[in-house]
Amino acid sequence: MVSIRVNGKPQEIDADPAMPILWVVREKLAMTGTKFGCGIAQCGACTVHLDGQPIRSCSTPISAAEGKAITTIEGIAADDGTLTNVQQAWISEQVPQCGYCQSGQIMSATALLRETPQPTDEQINAYMKGNVCRCGMYGRIRQAIKVAAGMEPASGEAPAEQASVEEAAT
Amino acid sequence: MKHASLVLLIGLASLGLSACGSESQEPVEQIVIREPGAEAPAAQNVTAAESGDLVAAGKAAFAVCSACHSVEPGAASGIGPNLNGVVGRAAGSLDSFGYSGAMTGSDVSWDADELDAFLANPSAKVPGTTMVAGAVTDADKRAAIIAYLSSLSQ
Amino acid sequence: MSEGADTKPPRSKAAKWTRRGFIGAGALAGGALIVGVAVRSGNPVGKLKPIVAGGEGEALVNSWVKIGADNLVTAIVPHCEMGQGANSTIAQMLADEMDVNWENVRVMDAPADGNYVSQHAARLFVGPGTLPDKPNAVSFMEPTYDGLFTQVAKLASAYITGGSSSVRSTGQNGMRIAGAAAREMLVAAAAQEWGVPAAEITTENATLTHAKSGKSALYSAMAAPASEQDLPRAPKIKDISEFKLMGTPAPRKDIPVKVDGTAMFGIDGGPDGSDLRYAAIKACPVVGSQVASIETSAAQAMGGVLQILNMGDFVAVIADSYWQAQQALGAIETTYTKTEIDDLDSAQMFANFASALDEAGDAGGNSKADYGDAAGAFADAANKVEAEYQVPYLAHATMEPMNCTAWVRDGKCDIWTGTQVPLMSRDGAAEGAGLDADDVTMHSVFLGGGFGRRLTPEYTNQAARLAKAAGYPIKMIWSREEDTAQDFYRPADISRFTGGLDAEGKVVCWNNVHCTEDEPAEAPLVEFYDIANVSVRTSEVEHPLRIGAWRSVAHSQHGFFVESFVDELAHAAGKDPFEFRRSLLANSPRHLKVLEGVAKMANWGGALPEGHGRGIAIVRSFNSIVAEIAEVDMTGDKPRVTKVFCCVDAGFAMNPDGLKAQMESGIIYGLSAAMHNEITIKNGAVEQSNFHDYHMMRMDDAPEIAVEIINGAPNNLGGAGEPGLPPAAPALANAVFAATGKRIRSLPIAKHFS
Repeated sequence: MVSIRVNGKPQEIDADPAMPILWVVREKLAMTGTKFGCGIAQCGACTVHLDGQPIRSCSTPISAAEGKAITTIEGIAADDGTLTNVQQAWISEQVPQCGYCQSGQIMSATALLRETPQPTDEQINAYMKGNVCRCGMYGRIRQAIKVAAGMEPASGEAPAEQASVEEAAT
Repeated sequence: MKHASLVLLIGLASLGLSACGSESQEPVEQIVIREPGAEAPAAQNVTAAESGDLVAAGKAAFAVCSACHSVEPGAASGIGPNLNGVVGRAAGSLDSFGYSGAMTGSDVSWDADELDAFLANPSAKVPGTTMVAGAVTDADKRAAIIAYLSSLSQ
Repeated sequence: MSEGADTKPPRSKAAKWTRRGFIGAGALAGGALIVGVAVRSGNPVGKLKPIVAGGEGEALVNSWVKIGADNLVTAIVPHCEMGQGANSTIAQMLADEMDVNWENVRVMDAPADGNYVSQHAARLFVGPGTLPDKPNAVSFMEPTYDGLFTQVAKLASAYITGGSSSVRSTGQNGMRIAGAAAREMLVAAAAQEWGVPAAEITTENATLTHAKSGKSALYSAMAAPASEQDLPRAPKIKDISEFKLMGTPAPRKDIPVKVDGTAMFGIDGGPDGSDLRYAAIKACPVVGSQVASIETSAAQAMGGVLQILNMGDFVAVIADSYWQAQQALGAIETTYTKTEIDDLDSAQMFANFASALDEAGDAGGNSKADYGDAAGAFADAANKVEAEYQVPYLAHATMEPMNCTAWVRDGKCDIWTGTQVPLMSRDGAAEGAGLDADDVTMHSVFLGGGFGRRLTPEYTNQAARLAKAAGYPIKMIWSREEDTAQDFYRPADISRFTGGLDAEGKVVCWNNVHCTEDEPAEAPLVEFYDIANVSVRTSEVEHPLRIGAWRSVAHSQHGFFVESFVDELAHAAGKDPFEFRRSLLANSPRHLKVLEGVAKMANWGGALPEGHGRGIAIVRSFNSIVAEIAEVDMTGDKPRVTKVFCCVDAGFAMNPDGLKAQMESGIIYGLSAAMHNEITIKNGAVEQSNFHDYHMMRMDDAPEIAVEIINGAPNNLGGAGEPGLPPAAPALANAVFAATGKRIRSLPIAKHFS
């Protein structure tokens, strides 16, 4: 038995101590927001917080969480459901495409801003490079981090793009 | 041209279907150990090994670490600290990185033996470390990674 | 593949098609309305109602539109959401035609049912440019074409999401008409009920208004009588001047669930309750081999293991947890039957490709384009240029590895899986479960990336076979290693060119031969360039790996080949690569505008720091024209792309932010491949396994990207998901040349700098 807290709730986990946190959260606790991507801490899709620090849950055994607090994507919004600044920025900047990596991206970005509230581009690059986005939304992720940090204004529902309309020429 | 394209689409469909089909849809061999819910036996572990030029092997093995750790001199730290010059460095001593209290309070100085113990089981060596993703079970791989890290310095 | 080319799909049913038959409508329990563009003659609504609109007070307006008692309008989209955002954009098109505000719109995936087969998708997927462009949506519904494509779609079990086709075909030619028809039926119902002329009724914000009498009603209130109305024969779609939502960056409907962990992907799906068990599999590493033997004693003793199965073509472990299944799978020793390619490696394979091209020579092989006299013009050319390019196999590497959850019991099968072809997946599951397709229920989920990988869903069949053997529900998940080693790869290829320049540096001939038949067939063609003597040929080879559609399909190779060679010709002619392309595009005005647009964005010709370079490329694919300029910094030990400028003409951007996002995405996907990616073969098997040896572009090496849109042909839409990709690799390689004088003729680029 491993005693942990997950998103504030105490849990007694009956599992092989070597089982990665990822599979405990997904299979035993039925919280599927944390994703499996590579299994070897290369892609960041499984990022959760362990006592506030971002970890790759696919490669972290549940035994390492004994007595500690795990926070997953399901646990970061306020109790009343209000999304965090990071989540709101992800919406305003229209970051996700397929969305599969975004739980991990958001967990990493959340930890980054907690440690470094006004990150430089270099700090963002270094912190976020462990999170792969196969849809390639790195530019939007970087922008959304700055919006969440209050360094840039959010994109509103801007008026229509000014694109020139011309008759078909071919 | 039109016909060729039509055939290609149908070809795509059959590609998908033929990929599905082996000659037999049924198992060739089915070993049932127990039914769901039945008492499970205890687990055992397995490991693998490999060898080669130590630093080169270490560089290759370090690929899985590089998602979190930079090694270029002066490069910004990521989720984990920059490891350039880590061999011989005191644990938790890189000013620019926000270590866990466990690491800064560990009183470890990173030599080959300490790194080996840490990589084998990070949480056992430095209880409370957040580097719980990095356990390297293979002793040869650990030796190679440490050789690689030793080869990096300012 | 050529046999069967003369087998024309039968036209008998097609001849019965009428526009009236094209639209179906009906009412649902509780008085809601459903309207749809039928894909078969006859009104399919009755059959569909219980499937898509079972809710109290819901009505299907046509099979693609329903209006709820809450006045929410739901677009039922026959495409899969894999990140491209098309389902949201298609709903935007519907809502605009219906005069429904965006807040009142919901999006729902169409169920995997034959009635949702999208012959519109099939039409474009089959071959853009192979049919006359018919920009007017209503006249596009020519019975013969639709009949033809319905046949094709049926054959292919269509409901395809691919070919960058969702918006420009289903949206433009289906959903807009469904929306316009629904609106007209609502107006007709209100006119009847209020006893006023339909022409005096206006619609806005899902509300009907008759100003003279002061009457108004929500759509939901008129939904039931609307379903009784005659179906419009030719519903009037909006002129561009009337667009309210189309052409605006309406926020995507699928994004909120993707920031709080609630979005359900295939890997998250499954039956309620705790009966679910987990399967890890390993398929035979060499194509054509079978499992010869398995040694399982260690695995049998491992924790959580329930079953070990030798399925002939793969080995599986079923356990209480996926991790346990994976651990046990790793402890099984497997031997495989021998194949003819057990000794093959990449070097030998490319040597085989080169031999095939040697055989084709200057004029042999299968002709794809032949005009003028390429050989004759080359003989007379003042300046002769020759080059050979090579690209590797590529894996799709979707973030969500292949997976499928299957439950086979009582003559039924339930499937949860991400697929670009739900009906084909259903057929594969039926085959695996030994059931009829009608006994298989596909549960709709998001796809954690598609990029063409999920067009070949053999994993559905695998999971159904396992679930049938096990007797309880199974969630089968491929490891990343399995996903990397068992893909349907972007074909490797070699492409040889000879080109001739006259004394003034004008291109007089273009002769190309490459391996692998192309899909789409237009990919290697250069008809938009002003070159009088052209020969393009293929010399077919056998691929030792399974090949499939990879984002932008054959354009991914030929964009690199063609635009690299154009660059080489420009330098051979002593001309600026942008000006050189300008002169070649003199007769292609839309191309020219896009090319000039990107040059202006990037300040082409402006000064760059020492060691930096710019490269330009332009590719038309999926009916969109995209030009890109990459800036590269060569001062480090390997190239670093700092900026990419992109100018795109997709006809008309239905959602400009969505189009931009797709360009950004295609560029990064293309640069990832150009810079890093290579699937190699050793002993007949794939060598790469995971992200440490199949590198992705990451935050720290991703360039800044700027995108500008030209709406060059509002009635002739182009695709979005793929066209951003093909120019990325050549723009980068051309930039490396500009900075260093080193010409990159084989990908990936990183291997030239390691």
